[in-house]
Amino acid sequence: MSDGTIDGPFGSDAVLAGEYVLHLLPPEARRAAEDRLAVDGAFRALVAQWSERFAQLADTVAPVDPPAGIRAALRQAVADARGTERRRRGSALGRLFAGGVGGLLAAGAAVLFLTVALPRIEPPYSGPLYAAQLQGEDSDLVVQARFDPRDNAITVLRQAGGPAPGRVLELWLIAEGAEGPVSLGVLPEGREVEVDVPDDLAGAIPTGTLAISDEPPGGSPDAAPSGPILAVGAVEDA
Amino acid sequence: MATTTRDDIEAMIARTAHEDRDAFLALYDATSAKLFGVCLRVLDSRPDAEEVLQEVFVKVWRNAGRYSANGLSPMTWLITIARNTAIDRLRARKVVHEDADAVGGLEDKAPGPEAQAIAASEAREIARCLDELDDDRAAAVRGAYLDGQSYQDLSDRFAVPLNTMRTWLRRSLIKLRECLGG
Repeated sequence: MSDGTIDGPFGSDAVLAGEYVLHLLPPEARRAAEDRLAVDGAFRALVAQWSERFAQLADTVAPVDPPAGIRAALRQAVADARGTERRRRGSALGRLFAGGVGGLLAAGAAVLFLTVALPRIEPPYSGPLYAAQLQGEDSDLVVQARFDPRDNAITVLRQAGGPAPGRVLELWLIAEGAEGPVSLGVLPEGREVEVDVPDDLAGAIPTGTLAISDEPPGGSPDAAPSGPILAVGAVEDA
Repeated sequence: MATTTRDDIEAMIARTAHEDRDAFLALYDATSAKLFGVCLRVLDSRPDAEEVLQEVFVKVWRNAGRYSANGLSPMTWLITIARNTAIDRLRARKVVHEDADAVGGLEDKAPGPEAQAIAASEAREIARCLDELDDDRAAAVRGAYLDGQSYQDLSDRFAVPLNTMRTWLRRSLIKLRECLGG
C-alpha cells in the first residue's frame, strides 16, 4: 500500500484493519482495504477480530421497535421475490429482492462486499491460501486471483479492464522451472469468476506465475497463448 | 431477543439462505429492534433509520447464503451490515447537509437507563479496555463505532487538528489491541 494510510509511526495492518472496521478510512483507502480483504487472509482475520470486538459496543445501544410497516413491506417483498413471477410483479422493494438491484448495489457496494468477504474470515481451515495480483504494462487489465488448495479452485476478480470486444481472456499457469505456460482455461464472463484447476496442475500453483492473454472466442487455438499477454503476476502466500 | 440464542439466529440465517420467508421474518422479529437501534444511533433520524433498516434486511435476504456459521458470530454479521449501511447513508447525507449539532450531541446519544443496565450486565472486554484509555480517547473510539463519526467529525468535536485525531485513534487502536490480547 502506498496511500499513506498504513505508513508512519503508528502504521500496521492491525491498525488499518481497525480503522477499516470503524469506517474511518477515506473512500479510496477503504476501497483499497476491500480489495485486500478479497485476497489477504491475514488481513481478513484482523478485520474479523475487530468486527467481533467492536460489535460488543452495540450492547450499549438500546433496541427500538421499528414501525410495523417495515415488517409488512419486507413480508410482501419476499413473497414477490419467490416463484416464477419474481421479476414481473411487485413493489420496487420486491424488485430489489428479486434481483433488479442496480441502485441498491451501487449505493451499498461496500456493504455488500463486506457481506461477501466477512463470512470467509476465520474459516475452520487454517492451511495456506495463495493469491496473485496480475497486471501488465501495456494493458489496463488488473486482476486478483486467489487459489484455495482445498478445492483446487482459483477465484479471479477483475478489478480493472476486460476483454476487447469479440475477444476473450485466457488464464495460464507458468509453473516454476517450466518451459512454457499451460492453459487453465478461458475466463467466463463476469467480474468475479471461478476456475477449476486440474489436480495434476494444482500442486504447481503456489510456486507458479499466472498470466492472462487476449484470445479469440474459445481460447487460443494453440497450446500456448496466441495473443498478447495482458497481465502477469507471481503467486504468493495470502 | 433474550430467549433467542446464537444458534437460533444462525439457523434462521441458514433457512433464509434457502428463501424460507418464515425464517426470514422470524430473523426480523428476533433482531430488527436491535438493528433499528444501531441505525437510529448512527443516523439520529427515524425516517432515515427506517429506510436503512429495510435496506439492511434486503441485504440479509440476498446475502444470507454467504453467511457461514464458521465466520463471524451472527449478531456481529448483522450489526456490521446495519452499521455500514447506516454510515453509508450518513456520509451521503452529510455531503449535502453539514449541521452543527451533529457533532455536539454526546448527551443526546448517551445510552438510556435500559441500555446502560444491559451494558453493565455484560461487562464486556472491549468496555473494560476502553476504560483504560483516557476518557476523550475512549469517547472518540465510541463516536466512530456507535455514531459513525469520521476523523473530521471527531476532530471538530474534540477541537483538535485532524492529524492529531488520527494519531489519537491509531494509538488507541494499538492500546486496545494490547489490552484485548492480540
